[in-house]
Amino acid sequence: MLKALKRFNHHTLEWFARATRTIRFSAHLLPLTLAPQTYQRDNRAAIARQLVTGMGPNLLWFTVLCALVSSVLIRIVVVTALSYGLSKFALEMVVRVLVLELIPLTAAVFVALRCTLPDGMELAELRAHGDLHRLQQQGIDPIAREALPRVIAGVFSVLMLVAVSCLMSLVLAYLNVYGFTPWGFGGYTRVVGQVFSPAVSIILVMKTIAFSLAVSLIPMASAVYDNVNTTLQGRSKAARELASMVRLFSVILLIEVASLLVNYY
Amino acid sequence: MNENSNENSVPTGSHSSGHNTTLPLESALNTHTPPGLQIKAALLVLLMVLLVSGAVVYLMYARGVFEATQKLVLMADDSEGVVVGMDLTFSGFPIGRVSQIELSAEGNARMIMEVPKKDAHWLRSTSIFTLERGLVGSTKLRAYSGILTDPPLDDGATRALLVGDASSEIPKLVATAKELIQNLKALTAADSSLDASLGNVKTLTEKLNGKGGALGAILGDEKHTEKLLTALDRTNSLLTKVDGLAAKADTQVFGPNGVMKDAQATVVQLNAMLAEARSSLKKVDAILIDAQAIGANAKAATADLGVLRADVESSLRKVDHLINEINRKWPFKRDAELKLP
Repeated sequence: MLKALKRFNHHTLEWFARATRTIRFSAHLLPLTLAPQTYQRDNRAAIARQLVTGMGPNLLWFTVLCALVSSVLIRIVVVTALSYGLSKFALEMVVRVLVLELIPLTAAVFVALRCTLPDGMELAELRAHGDLHRLQQQGIDPIAREALPRVIAGVFSVLMLVAVSCLMSLVLAYLNVYGFTPWGFGGYTRVVGQVFSPAVSIILVMKTIAFSLAVSLIPMASAVYDNVNTTLQGRSKAARELASMVRLFSVILLIEVASLLVNYY
Repeated sequence: MNENSNENSVPTGSHSSGHNTTLPLESALNTHTPPGLQIKAALLVLLMVLLVSGAVVYLMYARGVFEATQKLVLMADDSEGVVVGMDLTFSGFPIGRVSQIELSAEGNARMIMEVPKKDAHWLRSTSIFTLERGLVGSTKLRAYSGILTDPPLDDGATRALLVGDASSEIPKLVATAKELIQNLKALTAADSSLDASLGNVKTLTEKLNGKGGALGAILGDEKHTEKLLTALDRTNSLLTKVDGLAAKADTQVFGPNGVMKDAQATVVQLNAMLAEARSSLKKVDAILIDAQAIGANAKAATADLGVLRADVESSLRKVDHLINEINRKWPFKRDAELKLP
């Protein structure tokens, strides 16, 4: 019993320590994103490289996948609402479910899996091989040169994917409900205006920013702060990646639950 | 920034890796950027900025930020179901939206509507505003303008909101449904009239399916049924005999030597007799006319007889008086006693 309590206490303390480190890392990094020297020539090139290499294929694939899934979901909602005689609520439901809830969440998870978690692992390997230390010896801030571009690319990727996918879902919803005619634009715009009240819009923006920050910062913080003595070979590496992923998804889930609570309660 | 410090610092070194000094991930640390990469990144950022600003402008347009509006205040006892942003419709088209809901000093709900100037001409000073709460779906605010030539509604005008609540009918509906169910329950109970009737119907159908069939069901007893069947048989045989009789009668009546032929001759004779009778009657008519004339003469003679009688009576009275005088003067007086005839 005492042993279990000690283990629980150890895990709790470790969780708090990790959370504190992540917050401290964020506090260290976020001012850097606003500092002009961050965007000097060398760093600018690194940021540009991360942006393009991170965004290029993801934007295309995510847009295509999102278009397919959105079309199916929109069709299901519209047909179901029509069969119950509630077609006037279909559009509002589609906008609420897709644009407000599903697309930001999916975009965050997609960016985490395709971009920031691999970036975090890459950074951890750089750190383990002493490459960051060598950069520091050359007088280059390794955080500003290696971690910050990845964080900025992660944040940018989430925001970009959310913006593109939301726009595309809105267009698909219009086409599904009204077809290829411009005459539904007035009514459609009015429904969108009703859904996106100031409070809902602010919550959507805040949620998306929170997703992007969580997705970008947590893997980098894990890469920078996790115990480097852990071997990178075999199962331990996989276990560490999995633990980092679980931590990230837990935070994403918390953000989603918090946004739902604020939106609907 | 020292990797040998505790984990709370930002470690950047390779104190324990023991690897050589070559860069294992050259691509990661490669600061050389292809020339087009920065342009692509700038284009991505530009696209992002355009998307976000476009979305903001579109949402502002959708929220009616760029529209010139006029205010309309609707007063109701209860604002239940009304939310900020809800549409005010006219003939099914949204022409305004709720911008604010507040409690008035009198304790009523005060709903402030924003009506775009371009749609405000649908609202007239005589317009009626209703709040409809359906059983399913959201509450609806509707405007009705009966006379579109009336003066337009002023900016900031206050109007009462007529409330139609379908849900208020529910208790009444439930009470009626309950009563109906109780009636149904009484109707379908084990000892109800319907049940007894159905039992009787069952008995009847059993009898109908039984030996006697419908007759058995109607007469109720097999003996009576047999009697009726016997009677029917006898009736049948009787009818057969009657049929034979009818055939014989037909021969005798309508046959070549039948009665009908004689009857026809008789009828001809009768017709002739009737013609004679008709001529006789005409003669009788003439006689009667003569008789009437005689009667008239007799009547006149009877009237003359009255006068004659009066004269005779007068003469007789005189003779009688004369006889009396003679008798009185006559020496052989007789008893003067008057004897009535």
